[in-house]
Amino acid sequence: MKSWQRYTGLCLLAVAALVIQQSVWVLRLFDHGQPGSGFMPFGLGVILAILAIGLIATNLGPEEKQIPFWEPKAWLRPLLAIVITAAYIIVFDDIGAITSVVVLVAGWLLLVERKSLLVSASTGLLTGLVVYLLFERFLQTPFPRGVLF
Amino acid sequence: MFDVAGLWHGFQIAFSPVNLLWGFIGCALGTAVGVLPGLGPAATIALLLPISMKMGSPITAIILMSGIFYGAMYGGSTTSILLKIPGEAASVVTCIDGYEMAKMGRAGPALGIAAIGSFIAGTVGLVGLTMMAPPLAEAALKFGPPEYFSLTVLGLLLATYLTGDSALKGLTMAILGLILGCIGLDPLSGAVRFDFGVVDLQSNIDFVTLAMGLFGVGEILYSLEKSETTSILTTKIKNVFPTMVDLGRSGWAMVRGSVIGFLVGILPGGGAVLSSLISYAVEKKVSKHPEEFGHGAIEGVAGPESANNAAASSSFIPLLTLGIPGNASTAMIFAALLIHGITPGPFLLTEHPDVFWGVVASMYIGNVMLLVLNLPLVGIWVQLLRVPYAFMAPLILVLTLVGVYSVNNSVFDIWVMLIMGVFGYLARKLKFDLGPLLLAFVLGPIMERSLRQALLMSNGKFGIFFTHPISGTLLGIAILFVVYNILAARKKNA
Repeated sequence: MKSWQRYTGLCLLAVAALVIQQSVWVLRLFDHGQPGSGFMPFGLGVILAILAIGLIATNLGPEEKQIPFWEPKAWLRPLLAIVITAAYIIVFDDIGAITSVVVLVAGWLLLVERKSLLVSASTGLLTGLVVYLLFERFLQTPFPRGVLF
Repeated sequence: MFDVAGLWHGFQIAFSPVNLLWGFIGCALGTAVGVLPGLGPAATIALLLPISMKMGSPITAIILMSGIFYGAMYGGSTTSILLKIPGEAASVVTCIDGYEMAKMGRAGPALGIAAIGSFIAGTVGLVGLTMMAPPLAEAALKFGPPEYFSLTVLGLLLATYLTGDSALKGLTMAILGLILGCIGLDPLSGAVRFDFGVVDLQSNIDFVTLAMGLFGVGEILYSLEKSETTSILTTKIKNVFPTMVDLGRSGWAMVRGSVIGFLVGILPGGGAVLSSLISYAVEKKVSKHPEEFGHGAIEGVAGPESANNAAASSSFIPLLTLGIPGNASTAMIFAALLIHGITPGPFLLTEHPDVFWGVVASMYIGNVMLLVLNLPLVGIWVQLLRVPYAFMAPLILVLTLVGVYSVNNSVFDIWVMLIMGVFGYLARKLKFDLGPLLLAFVLGPIMERSLRQALLMSNGKFGIFFTHPISGTLLGIAILFVVYNILAARKKNA
């Protein structure tokens, strides 16, 4: 776990460097002698850099206990879920909001939860109907129309 | 001291059929999310933010959200007592003696005393809120930019130190929240910050998007790692009404829990979790039979359950009077008020008394509703645990995705939410608490505006934060707090 904390510290250090760079070069630290738009971000960047170094420093040395970041194959279901959700966002505009909801729920139950096709498809259709009634009819959200619906 | 006319006006608003209905829905939803492990009140309020925007009245929206928040405190005890799984973080300590009581066949009295304690403490907290809020709001009218800056610094520091296990990680999340709050238009100069050429980033990151990503999507991704185990409930719940002996043993525990919860709840970051832990420790300390703790002592249920409800009520005091939310759930309510064009703070009572008193009165009514929902109807809530999470997860995800789209009709927002969800998932795995990030994101604009306005007032001299008495006192407390914690940490490591 310590190594993951050190990697996190390095990532935070990179974020801090980017914030400081933007504050100094792109934004203004001071404007007519007064704090400018980069003033607070600069300060935050510096504090974040200090905290990141602190995080790295407190996690130096060997691991006390070998705890894996992910249990074997534990990453698979979250990764599948992220991929399915990303696919949903990509097709959202093209196939329409309601259809994409049906596909998302059915796909999720089929691939992530390993449910049967019948259960997945019927749950997907039911969810699509609920979303249609709640958001499109009741809340009147202007959803994109797609090729299917 | 006690604005009877204001409270009476509030009851007139809260007793309208629409507000009663949404108050009831909020309490029922809150109890449900409290019962179900995984989905907390902050995530649920985040999920409902887009729907609340479509509600005509801000009072109704806040009544719904407040109901979810304190309803979760009631419901959280159910799974703690019956399954030894805390439905809500604030009910962790209830697992210890509550579950032992259930094993001894006393699940009913444990659930009953938890509900009664919650009701009494929630009402005590509300009376405190009713009495303390008006004078505090009046005092806060004297606050200028230096005072507000110092107050936000102190609030964030307390929230950071008191919530998570590591102050270093908490502070890191708070700073990240402040940086995320800087993305988009600078509130004073109008300059665009950190847009990297992406047009959608020129308007600030939406709070709903951030909250739903961190707490909604992040929670779902995290829960997917665990293999689902459906618990078959065999515990029979009978005699939920405690005996006179039980009530006698629990009476003072409830009183102490109420006082502890009320005081700790006012502190930013103090909240329900910390108050229940303190209450348990105090009960064990003052008990004539400390050896019974951990083996089914009813005081170990009554005290902490009272404390977390009193804290939930009193955490509204800094939110409604100072405009400073103390935890993730009240930060959501803060955002909901802003979405409806209402700025929480000292002017809330004078400019929107109907909102203030309407919400406070609805909380009194909600407490009674929750007592009814949680005493005779506890068996119904237990049945909720039979719903497989495999079906709930995609349904919650769909609500978050469609909900966040409905705010600005923007696909970009859904991408931001997914990214925030992945960030929230990884942060959970790395044991970073997300609460300080959300609080900082909300407080960031107030902090920056106050900082720069104060420096404008003083021609760039930082001394203004120390020469103003209130500001100096607040900053002094913040510095002392940090120094104390550093020294304590060094002593512990030595």
